[in-house]
Amino acid sequence: MNFEHEMLVGFAKSYGLFYLLALSLLVLVYTYWPSNKKPFDRAARSIIDDEDRPWE
Amino acid sequence: MFNFHYRLERYSIRFAILVVIVASIGGFVEIAPLFTIDETVEPAPDMRVYTPLELAGRNIYIREGCYACHSQMIRSLRDEVERYGPYSLAAESQYDHPMLWGSKRTGPDLARVGGKYSDYWHVVHMNNPRDVVPESVMPSYRWLGRNELEPADFDLHLRAQQKVGVPYTDEMVANAINDLSGQANPDGKRAEGVLARYGEATNIRDFDGDPTKVTELDALIAYLQILGRLTEVAHQNPVMKKLEGPK
Amino acid sequence: MVGQLTVNERKLAFLILILIAVVGLAMAITGADKLFVVHGLIIFLSALGTIFLVISGYFLPPPDIENAKHYYDDPTRAGIIIAMVWAVFAMFIGDWVAWLLAFPEMTFDAAWASFGRLRPVHTTGIIFGFGGNALIATSFHVVQRTSRARMPDNLSPWVVIFGYNLFCLLAVSGYFIGITQSKEYAEPEWYADIWLVIIWVTYFILYLRVLARRKEPHIYVANWYYMAFILVVAILHIVNNLAIPISLMHAKSYSAFSGVQDAMTQWWYGHNAVAFFLTAGFLGMLYYFLPKQAGRPIYSYRMSIVGFWGITFFYMWAGSHHLHYTALPTWVQTLGMTFSAMLLIPSWIAAGNALMTLNGAWHKVRDDATLRFMMVAAVFYGLSTFEGSFMAIRPVNALSHYTDWTIGHVHAGALGWVALITFGAIYALVPWLWKQKRMYSPKLVEVHFWLALSGTLIYVFSMWNSGIIQGLMWRTYNESGTLAYSFVQSMVEMHPYYIARAIGGLFFLIGAIVGCYNIWMTVRSARMLAGAPEFETPDLGIASAQEIKAGEQA
Ligand code: HEC
Ligand code: HEM
Ligand code: HEM
Repeated sequence: MNFEHEMLVGFAKSYGLFYLLALSLLVLVYTYWPSNKKPFDRAARSIIDDEDRPWE
Repeated sequence: MFNFHYRLERYSIRFAILVVIVASIGGFVEIAPLFTIDETVEPAPDMRVYTPLELAGRNIYIREGCYACHSQMIRSLRDEVERYGPYSLAAESQYDHPMLWGSKRTGPDLARVGGKYSDYWHVVHMNNPRDVVPESVMPSYRWLGRNELEPADFDLHLRAQQKVGVPYTDEMVANAINDLSGQANPDGKRAEGVLARYGEATNIRDFDGDPTKVTELDALIAYLQILGRLTEVAHQNPVMKKLEGPK
Repeated sequence: MVGQLTVNERKLAFLILILIAVVGLAMAITGADKLFVVHGLIIFLSALGTIFLVISGYFLPPPDIENAKHYYDDPTRAGIIIAMVWAVFAMFIGDWVAWLLAFPEMTFDAAWASFGRLRPVHTTGIIFGFGGNALIATSFHVVQRTSRARMPDNLSPWVVIFGYNLFCLLAVSGYFIGITQSKEYAEPEWYADIWLVIIWVTYFILYLRVLARRKEPHIYVANWYYMAFILVVAILHIVNNLAIPISLMHAKSYSAFSGVQDAMTQWWYGHNAVAFFLTAGFLGMLYYFLPKQAGRPIYSYRMSIVGFWGITFFYMWAGSHHLHYTALPTWVQTLGMTFSAMLLIPSWIAAGNALMTLNGAWHKVRDDATLRFMMVAAVFYGLSTFEGSFMAIRPVNALSHYTDWTIGHVHAGALGWVALITFGAIYALVPWLWKQKRMYSPKLVEVHFWLALSGTLIYVFSMWNSGIIQGLMWRTYNESGTLAYSFVQSMVEMHPYYIARAIGGLFFLIGAIVGCYNIWMTVRSARMLAGAPEFETPDLGIASAQEIKAGEQA
């Protein structure tokens, strides 16, 4: 039965790392994708605007 | 219009699902091996389960929050082993639902306090720690000696323990209530049953020095006196891990 | 506040409360142990009291249709006030606990007043009572504003607030009378846990429904943090609290996990409670209220996104740094250590982003104590995460674990970051919500700020000192190669630091009380001007939209 435990540990140690790297890369690409810049800037400004009531 | 809303709604739900997945994969990958970890827990063939009285004492330990000041986990560091005894092994807490390793040592570690002091010392200490250690900041627990133990439903406790995987036999469950008081009455008829079910080495005595009733203090001291004594594995393999720490 | 509910919602509220009352009564009648009966009664009485509240407003005229054109802020107002009440209560207990470590006789021979029972009252009261209510209240505000959409209904937010506080009440009252699972930050027993799951699902669905109604295509980043807070806390809570009750009529249960497995599950929970309760939620607060109060957009929106994903996926792995050198397998410990070091990146991205936002607005920070609360909070956030990553290194942890150093780290984060950012957000929010130009007394905000800051510094420095002394004394050897100090010697050495800490805590507590007074006076003057009780104030109060416009006030 020890085999199963070793296997899980091995999996966690190797694929876990790949998973993490891939995910980090994905996030960076998404945030720094040039065409995303505009909506992000707009979003950042949006909360500063007047916000008296919901939009109709 | 409907379509527009629908799309947006899906979008936020998708986002939520993404957060769950991203967050849980990490947790899962790390935790999954721990569900097979019993395969790596050292074998402890001599390990016995808590008697009903000790379990009741453990519940009082939990109720009073002793774990907020006392750890029960000796780390594999040289100074800790010298101060408190052999470092704690995974096997030793395998029947602890939940574990009481603790995270703060306002008081000393208790993982191996069993047998370190006499029952009488504990009685005095629990009633007022400053009677034995004048500088102590531990609270006085006078009410424990006043409160009688309420054993009425203790079979239910053992049954639940059985369900979460502690190897109590059906016989132990059936006799839980008798065993509870039997262990604190060395002269009573019920004492023998306790020895038969939990082993000859079980402590059978009137722990709190008041033979007229079984109190919460009886239970708590019975528990304290068994800490670190449910199995001898930790003593048999004195150095398995390399100890770290200053020389 | 019942006046704001539609007739149907009033009926539904009534039904829900009757249901809760029946469950409470059933628990009280069938309960097989005294403690369970007490909790049944608490549930019953809470529901009954609220039923009377509903009845008292039941026949008020139905709300104005105009209401639908305004944000629904009454729950936020209530949540803020409740949070402040919890703050004072739990900090009072915290300070009592602090004095107990210097003068142990302050338990007065009463079981409920002993250290082991009061300490979880402090931690639960402050984290869940104060922190949780503040998070819920501000999240209601933020999600409506950033979505430009109103609450989908008037009842759900009240269900969340009522239900959540009932949970807190059950938790805290339970410790006093002796109900606890002993799992740190997850002490409440099984029935309270189940109740929290129901409330949390309601909360999550409500949040999604507001987002679904939004008129803004993009979901503002603060909502991401709030969502992660809601979602991950749900997962953590459910997994860590898996347990088998001894019967359905008893309070007691036994955890499904034991030993190492339980330790790992518990600290996976414990650490991520820090991450998603005490960090992600409050970062949501920061990313909304700091830019608003400063009147400038966040320095880098992109950094806030990178930080978000970093926190979401690094934190999950770091829990095992609570278990260094224990019976946990070494590879898990190393993993936890590595990820804790990596966590510093997203953490400092967040702290840096906050501070850079203030670049160019330092004059505002100087003049406006509200903004200064937020600024100092960001500094302490940076500090405590740096400290955390440092303490996660195994040899460092060998020294710090089990000592007051951990307590110092906790309160650098808890007082310096969590409490300060919350006070900042509340001081920003109260004038907006009650339609005032500013707080009743900006002077008192200033007083609170200095009390809180000095209290935090005294607390944290005394604990760093005592913690390191303690850790060193435990491991010091004398020339003959034996341990130099007994445990009791190290304990005696702590006494002056414990007194200092208790005094620092007292400062902090007094600050919070000053804050309560200030908030109360602000609400009162709003009421007097409007000539109506605050909860009935129509959204177009006395101040014009221009005046409420946040951040522009000096
Ligand atoms: C405020 C923190 C605190 C709490 C809560 C607390 N203790 Fe203690 N305990 C101490 C301190 C400090 C010492 C060391 C001084 C002394 O022996 O009294 C100690 C010592 C002890 C010792 C002696 C250990 C030894 O090796 O010398 C035992 C046994 C003990 N405590 C049991 C308990 C039990 C059981 C409870 C719960 C009912 C409890 N303690 C609650 C602080 C605490
Ligand atoms: C008036 C201010 C406060 C005082 C005097 C205070 C005091 C204390 C004391 C004495 C302890 C026990 C330490 C020990 O066991 O040695 C403690 C623990 C704790 N407090 Fe506070 N506290 C205060 C504010 C806060 C705040 C605002 C928070 C959170 C937002 C908080 C969170 C905690 C936590 C999480 C613990 C447990 C730490 C651990 O187990 O390691 N406290 N506090
Ligand atoms: C990068 C971020 C952080 C890291 C790596 C980190 C790491 C750590 C470490 C190593 C411990 C000591 C564990 C032990 O020895 O028992 C700890 C304890 C703790 N930290 Fe942090 N920390 C971080 C941020 C924070 C923040 C922002 C808070 C907010 C309040 C916080 C709250 C706590 C609490 C409450 C504990 C005590 C847990 C307990 O023992 O009861 N941490 N942290």
